[in-house]
Amino acid sequence: MMIHREYAVVRGVFLALALLPPACRKEEPAKTDPAPAQPEAAEPAKTAAQPPAAPTGAKIKIAFSAPAADHGWTGAISVNAKKQAAKYDDVEFSLTQAATAADQVSQLNTIVMQKPDVIVVLPQDETVTPAALAAMKAGIQVINVDREFNDPGAQRAVIKGDNYGVGYQAGTYFASQLHCKGNVVEIQGIAGISVTNQRTAGFADAIKPCKGGIKIIAQQPADFAPDKGLSVMQNILQAQPKIDAVYTHDDDMAQGVVQAIKNANRDKEMWLTGVGGSKAAMDQIKQGGLYRATFLYNPTMAASAVALARLLAKGQGLSDLTEPVIPNLIVMQAQGVFQSNVDHYLQIGF
Amino acid sequence: MTDGDPSAARAGLRARAALRGVRVQDVALPLVVILLVVIGAVLKGRIFFSTANLWNVLVQASVAGTVAVGMTFVIATGGIDLAVGSMLAAAAIVGGHYFHGAGSAAVMAGTLVAAVGFGAVSGIAVAWLRIVPFVATLAMLAATRGIAQQISHQTPVALYDLDALTRIGSQRVLGIPIPAIVFLIVVGLGWVVLNRTRYGRYVVAVGGNREAARIAGIRVRPIVFSVYVLVGLCTGIASVLQTGQLASASPVVGVGLELDAIAAVVIGGTSLAGGRCTMIGTFFGVITFALIFNLLTLENVESQIQQILRGAIILGAVAVQRRGH
Repeated sequence: MMIHREYAVVRGVFLALALLPPACRKEEPAKTDPAPAQPEAAEPAKTAAQPPAAPTGAKIKIAFSAPAADHGWTGAISVNAKKQAAKYDDVEFSLTQAATAADQVSQLNTIVMQKPDVIVVLPQDETVTPAALAAMKAGIQVINVDREFNDPGAQRAVIKGDNYGVGYQAGTYFASQLHCKGNVVEIQGIAGISVTNQRTAGFADAIKPCKGGIKIIAQQPADFAPDKGLSVMQNILQAQPKIDAVYTHDDDMAQGVVQAIKNANRDKEMWLTGVGGSKAAMDQIKQGGLYRATFLYNPTMAASAVALARLLAKGQGLSDLTEPVIPNLIVMQAQGVFQSNVDHYLQIGF
Repeated sequence: MTDGDPSAARAGLRARAALRGVRVQDVALPLVVILLVVIGAVLKGRIFFSTANLWNVLVQASVAGTVAVGMTFVIATGGIDLAVGSMLAAAAIVGGHYFHGAGSAAVMAGTLVAAVGFGAVSGIAVAWLRIVPFVATLAMLAATRGIAQQISHQTPVALYDLDALTRIGSQRVLGIPIPAIVFLIVVGLGWVVLNRTRYGRYVVAVGGNREAARIAGIRVRPIVFSVYVLVGLCTGIASVLQTGQLASASPVVGVGLELDAIAAVVIGGTSLAGGRCTMIGTFFGVITFALIFNLLTLENVESQIQQILRGAIILGAVAVQRRGH
């Protein structure tokens, strides 16, 4: 599990997505902010101390920096952020997408010069950290989405998914559904990145109590891409005469795996789970059959990040929490979505 | 296997080479394929040699392979097309998004037309705007991926309900999966056009020496334009195969496909400098990569080993071919 040694203040505020639909996120209305001038905070505090307040009348400028939409999930991140921003009359929103970490650094440097109130960053990787640090130094608050910076001074708050939790929830589900016995195939994301490693580690830890009863008979990456998922699974189906279930790291990619199984007429033999919470996945879960479950790693976190950024700029906290400021760390619940509860989550499917 | 040589001089060289016996660069790749098959037989005999798996290898090769056929023509002119992966996705999305309601045939036609259209844009940029192929198609790589994302709103288009389309993935004809059949037909047609038609000779002549080709009366620009349209058509066919197998059109498919296709063409013996190309070589190139992927996945070998092997084979194959010059 990701550990935040540096954070001592608010840690581990777990918010189930279900508890936080957009409607509940609205802060107290009609709270006109009297602060007349923008405080010139040259060095904003790392702890939740003194939020800058936007001047009345002026729009809150939020800049969102995201990776280029290279697969379904990153695509949905940008869409969610835009949608959320469109809900606010008092927000002036801009979105930039970067294909590489280097692009993102230069984009961030440009954004800093435009002096937005808050920058929300889903970094390509941690090499973007110095750019975020520079933004904070320039007095612009940074909210870090999902992939964490490696310097605690680089952001005011982190909102992220729980990759280990995703793997662990999935593993627990497999252990109970298979009664700790069976042949499992794991189709991973991109080999060697922390997302993949944590989703694999969580799953492995959760099936450990089965003492080898659940065998991972094949484990291959398919780069979060449906076409790679298809061809990897086509090969695995040739090699493995008996498969009970398939754990895939991504709903989009799982689509290819599903089709490989269906095309081979083996969809009665096994079942499968995904990760993410895509609409297509939820539709199939609702129908029943091959696709049994998905574990939320929902891009709605980008929408929540925009909401947080606005609260931060207005100097407000989360409405139902006691503190008058937003927390430093929010970790999304890796909620399992099954046929039994899918109706609950359909509206956040992406 | 320099089956695309145009000029008499080259034909003469080929005759002499034939007299000297078989050249090492002609047999190297088939030998690699045979070696891989032997390794497969030893490691996974019964599974590997099942007809199901052998067809499976061809299905696996079908998308990149169909694109590689078109790519052979482009590279024969001394060009390159980096946009094929993005074009594959964009064409699939155009077909799936706009023509879903009109049925399978419309989706397929929309996909094909879109891909040919994208290829034509590249072709105009290279042939008439005189933009270097690398740059022109790099621009198309970015633009068509963007088009795919924009039209689809970055969400895959589900096409489960289109029976005829999804049958591409599930049905067999005479026991052969449809993508494998289409791939073999495209390779065969590609071979005929490249080696047995005047057009094929013109393509190679333009790649060999553009000035000489012009003086010989070949209208160079239309030929250059046409190869990008041709690779567009092949990409469109590949896109239909991909969409049919996935039962959905996704904006994120085909990432890195251009490199797979180019690698297959190059290890097959086609020269990136143009003027020297071989469709049979391309076929073996595609099969080599598909076999490596198949074998290593059957053995559940970690993917990084696969990458290393692919790199080694590209280097090795090209090094062997250089000996011929």
